[in-house]
Amino acid sequence: MPRTTLIWIALLVLSLTGTVARAQTGVDRSPTPPEQPSVSFDVQMEDIKRSLVELKRDLVVLEEDLLFPASSQVAVFVAMDLGEFFALDAVTLKLNGKEVSHYLYTDKQVDALYRGGVQRLYVGNVRQGNNRLTAFFTGRGPSGRDYRRATTVEFEKTFEPIFVELKITDSTAKYQPEFVATVSP
Amino acid sequence: MRWLIGVVLCVPLMVQAVSSQEMAPDFTLKSLEGSNLRLDEYKGQVVLINFWATWCGPCRQELPLLDRIHRRYQDAGFAVLGINVEGVDKTDEARAMISKAGVTFPVLVDEGQKISELYALEAMPTSVVVDRDGVVRYVHLGYKPGDEAKYLEVVKKLIRE
Repeated sequence: MPRTTLIWIALLVLSLTGTVARAQTGVDRSPTPPEQPSVSFDVQMEDIKRSLVELKRDLVVLEEDLLFPASSQVAVFVAMDLGEFFALDAVTLKLNGKEVSHYLYTDKQVDALYRGGVQRLYVGNVRQGNNRLTAFFTGRGPSGRDYRRATTVEFEKTFEPIFVELKITDSTAKYQPEFVATVSP
Repeated sequence: MRWLIGVVLCVPLMVQAVSSQEMAPDFTLKSLEGSNLRLDEYKGQVVLINFWATWCGPCRQELPLLDRIHRRYQDAGFAVLGINVEGVDKTDEARAMISKAGVTFPVLVDEGQKISELYALEAMPTSVVVDRDGVVRYVHLGYKPGDEAKYLEVVKKLIRE
């Protein structure tokens, strides 16, 4: 059961609880304000749409903070530079020995990476302290042969979120692809 | 306490199979030809996802009929995606079955049966028809001769939308 659905249900229960509490506080006896001129329908619609967009943005931020707090968050991104020597097929991630992601790439997705796109491959939580990330790249290498390479990076998790960039570049000196993992901060 | 309420409320949802008017869960699988295909990249087309297995007799009967529908309507924005649920261990048998049936649509391999779990399969074969917006519009469990008429009816309706 996705956590998102649990959060929605929890929010729904909380909002219903708040509504019932307000209904039980009694009748408002303040004087009735004078009637306001009616606002046009278009303006009201715009206001509602704007409120909806803001609410949606706030929910996304809240979800991110609840599910992936900065104190334990690690995010892994994939990027390519050129890519003449390697046709990417899949990337598998292992975090502290446990497989956390296995992603297959379609031709369109690989093309997007060639054009400079950056993919957020994985977001998860890790314990603070020393951690080890290994990425396995599968694809076709020079001469069209099956190619599988791994790169490992160790990092120390503090209270700050950790971002790991996995970059596939071409080494023209060796005529081979290179796989580099960079941790920031 | 709220966590417990959430779990209790969600138990019926956990066991529910994919049903009509839901977004079809996205997936990427490797085809028997070696390319990776993603369901979301078929948006704009009507897609019939057919889950099958080599041990399934009705699947053998159904595959050529699905291929006929695929060939007839592919130029109208329709595609069939076959998914073999047995994983890479049965790839050779799957290829043989596909070849014998004369299938031309892409056949994907569900390694680890992850997509079968995602779609909560209850029968074999299972066909799921997805419209151009990625919404599930029809789910058909099993196959008996004559069921292809229902597929045709649904596909014709959706390609005209």
